[in-house]
Amino acid sequence: MTRLVTGRLVAMVGVLLALTFVVYLVDAVIPANPVAASLGAGASHAQIIAREHQLGYDKPFYAQYWLFLGRLIHGNLGASLRTHNTVTSDLSNFAPATIELALLSGVLIAVLSLILGVWSASGIRGANLIRVLMTSLASAPTFFLGIVLILIFYSSLHLLPASGRTAGGQATGFVMIEDFFSGNLSGWFGALRHAIMPAVVIAVGPAVAIGRVLRGSLLEVMREDHVRTARSKGLSEFAVMLHHGLRNAATPVLAMAGLQMGLVLTGVIVVETVFAWPGLGLYASSALQYSDFPAIVGVTLVLGIAYVVINAAVDILQLVADPRLRDQ
Amino acid sequence: MSVGSQTTSPAVSPVAAVEDLRVSFETQRGTVQALRSVSLEIAPGEIVALVGESGSGKSVLGMSLLGLVGSLRGAQVAGRVQVAGVDMLTNADSTRRLLRRELLGAVFQDPLTSLDPTMKIGRQLTERGVDKDRAIGNLTEAGVPDPRRRFFEFPHQLSGGLRQRASIAMALGTAPRTDGLTAVADARGFPKLIVADEPTTALDVSVQAQIVLLFDRLRREHGCSVLFVTHDLGVAASIADRIAVMYAGRVCELGSAADVLERPRHPYTRALLDARVSVEISRSAPIRGIEGSPPDPTSPPPGCAYAPRCPRAQPDCTTALPELTPAQADPTHRVACIDPLDADHHQETWSESPGRVLAAKSAPAGEPALELVDVTKTFAVGSGRLRRGGERVHAVSNVSLTVPAGGAVALVGESGCGKTTTLRLACGLMPADSGSVRWSVDAGRPQLIFQDAGSSLTPWLTIGAMLSEQLARQGVERHERRAQALELLAQVGLDERAAGAKPRELSGGQRQRAAIARALASKPHLLICDEPVSALDASLAIRVLDLLAELRAKLGVALLIVTHDLGVARHSADQVAVMYRGRIVERGSTDEIFDTPAHPYTQGLLAAIPTTEPGRLSPTLAGEPPSPIGEDHGCAFAPRCPYAQSVCAQLPALGELAIDHDVACHFAKQVAAGDAAPGTLESDDEAAKL
Repeated sequence: MTRLVTGRLVAMVGVLLALTFVVYLVDAVIPANPVAASLGAGASHAQIIAREHQLGYDKPFYAQYWLFLGRLIHGNLGASLRTHNTVTSDLSNFAPATIELALLSGVLIAVLSLILGVWSASGIRGANLIRVLMTSLASAPTFFLGIVLILIFYSSLHLLPASGRTAGGQATGFVMIEDFFSGNLSGWFGALRHAIMPAVVIAVGPAVAIGRVLRGSLLEVMREDHVRTARSKGLSEFAVMLHHGLRNAATPVLAMAGLQMGLVLTGVIVVETVFAWPGLGLYASSALQYSDFPAIVGVTLVLGIAYVVINAAVDILQLVADPRLRDQ
Repeated sequence: MSVGSQTTSPAVSPVAAVEDLRVSFETQRGTVQALRSVSLEIAPGEIVALVGESGSGKSVLGMSLLGLVGSLRGAQVAGRVQVAGVDMLTNADSTRRLLRRELLGAVFQDPLTSLDPTMKIGRQLTERGVDKDRAIGNLTEAGVPDPRRRFFEFPHQLSGGLRQRASIAMALGTAPRTDGLTAVADARGFPKLIVADEPTTALDVSVQAQIVLLFDRLRREHGCSVLFVTHDLGVAASIADRIAVMYAGRVCELGSAADVLERPRHPYTRALLDARVSVEISRSAPIRGIEGSPPDPTSPPPGCAYAPRCPRAQPDCTTALPELTPAQADPTHRVACIDPLDADHHQETWSESPGRVLAAKSAPAGEPALELVDVTKTFAVGSGRLRRGGERVHAVSNVSLTVPAGGAVALVGESGCGKTTTLRLACGLMPADSGSVRWSVDAGRPQLIFQDAGSSLTPWLTIGAMLSEQLARQGVERHERRAQALELLAQVGLDERAAGAKPRELSGGQRQRAAIARALASKPHLLICDEPVSALDASLAIRVLDLLAELRAKLGVALLIVTHDLGVARHSADQVAVMYRGRIVERGSTDEIFDTPAHPYTQGLLAAIPTTEPGRLSPTLAGEPPSPIGEDHGCAFAPRCPYAQSVCAQLPALGELAIDHDVACHFAKQVAAGDAAPGTLESDDEAAKL
């Protein structure tokens, strides 16, 4: 088991190295000249050359990559060409908002997919209705769903704010978490009201996909012999589903969840733009408009790391869920 | 909760009472009538065996006693099922659940699938409120060695036999009684009734005998009643007090084990007894199969369901359902037949059918159809990164085996002994590490027949299309294929209708015939059969074995039959090779092997096979089949062997004991003569101390 986990972690580092290289490669071959862009249209050729030399852009490709890695290890991603702050400080300013949104979405995904999967697998009435509702929500593109939700809950019902995020979270940037633990419940609720619409928009698609896999997997598991054994012991149907059904149904569900995380991470960029949520997505979409490559590289790396870490976690969770995978 | 209290004395009131139970299932094909008015009582401490072929409704009755039949898809239930005085059909879910928690145990067929693979054994044992000490006690009780360690292991870390023991330990551990059901409560907390649904069918013969012994002991020591569902009359004979024979959803005969087995009154019971492919009967003796097939469960005939197959059927048989009535003077022995057999009809010629001798006469010797010389095959343990420190599975070690042209050789052994690997090597599905595999020159590849024809036939192709495909590969012209396909089907006893059918539209026996027809398409000189009849009911098994014998006689095709069933080996082969942990430990002519077995393992295997003698518990072979991981030094059987001495640490060679009889045992002569000295080695008898 330990060896499997270690192996998985080593593989993860390899994937991350490959990711840095690809990101760097794209950065290097892109025709736009960020130095020229940063100096503005009036800069002379000599000024550009001097600036390129100063930033190391005139060195050979591999040497530049090596320097890039060295800087990366020290958390130095260079300065944003747009905000003129270091990318690292920009990222640490914007990341908490995104992480908070992603965590809330994750909770929603888990809850919604469990409800959807368990409800429709156990054949309780109303299961079809909820399935149709969720599937139609999930079939709308995220930006469209976002706009519709804003129209309903902000413009018509005035129930929820349309954009932005409450201030607070001075220490860490995690508004909801800080408010919650400092007992500022009204502040926490305000933050939640801001976050709920974007989180729902992010969550609904993955929740439907995962819920559907969960349903199929559960239906299959509940027909298995060991479930009959569990029933023969006089366990309640709920206990059978909880202890014997869900865990055995987990393997394909976790695999699906890992895949869906990729969609969540790209979804964040669109959704943050729609709801003006001050996170990495908003930062990245502004950076794109300015060809702000240091910023784009930074965001890409952060999202890439998140994706790889989540998938490694999924692999390890699969080992936890199914002991047979541990020692074959 | 309120539960009807007992009005009669608990000493005589049955633990379970089923009355006029009718269960049907709505399916796409129509309403399947699984149980058609079944009545049965089980007394405290009694073991009732429920026997019958597949589809007779045995398992449905078991599920009814557990109060679970209503939850099966499309089930419609009528009648009465009471366990410990509690109605298991009409009571609320929660009441039935409580009864299962506190009074019932269940053991199912396949120990591989009936335990939750993701949950530790201990947690599964304690789930219904049994404390840890009692759970460990129950593991000990069920004969699980080292229960404290096993308690913390997952099911896949246990062997099949141990898993089934763990299942039994789980069935033994009922929840501490609450007041609602104390009218019949047993203070020690053992179940009043265990429903065991084919609990030994998936196990090796030696392990089966151990499990049967275990049930017998549990009943004696704890007074648990058992409903023992089985298709094997031998297993039923060794354990049951009473036997209920089921056919097409009805009990057709019910009585003490001795009455039913020795004085069967129903023609079906008699036919089942005759249809046993038993090791006790010489292979030159005819075996009488049962003609025809069971009725369509969606529209059973109005009269006796067995009448269409019954040689004694009269016009009256087809008009009214025969009720279960006492056979003369003996109210405990009841039979549902308007013209039952006489009580002592042993010599009576009750059937016109002469039966069949399955063994074909030996074909003339020629170039061998198959020759394995000193073949060895090992595998790495695990795979890829999981490979464990260079240890290897020694699946087949130095095996030499010859199948003469037109001959039939059976390769027998328990699970994990290497017989399937040998089969794969023999038909060239994998290369051997060393040694040689030869088929007779230009006879083409041997063809394979698998255990489960249902899954070896392509589900969306008709049988005719599948045969045409095979013929096309043989270069048969398009316009000739249909005629040749029909000819092939005729050879296996199928007609034109089968050509247009898809596999799922055929019965199990017909599918196996179709698979054989497909194998014959390339006119092979050798058919390699992997457990060819173990998925079939006895009556069908005989017909398939008979077909194989017929093909041998008519076409001269040689057979290599790989099986765990010694009865099948005895009746289908001229030569038998017994495998143990990758090696052939005994080999010889079928008569030699069965009449004078000379390897302690062969003797143990033969002794462990249950006979139809009522109350005869088979002596068990201690322990379980060994793990094939790692190289063997010395005789692999020594740890289980009653005669093992220190010399057994050296590997015995396969040496000639008599003409056409080789044995790999240091004491073969003494063992064959029955005067071997008891062993001086500590044997692995944890499981044997039952």
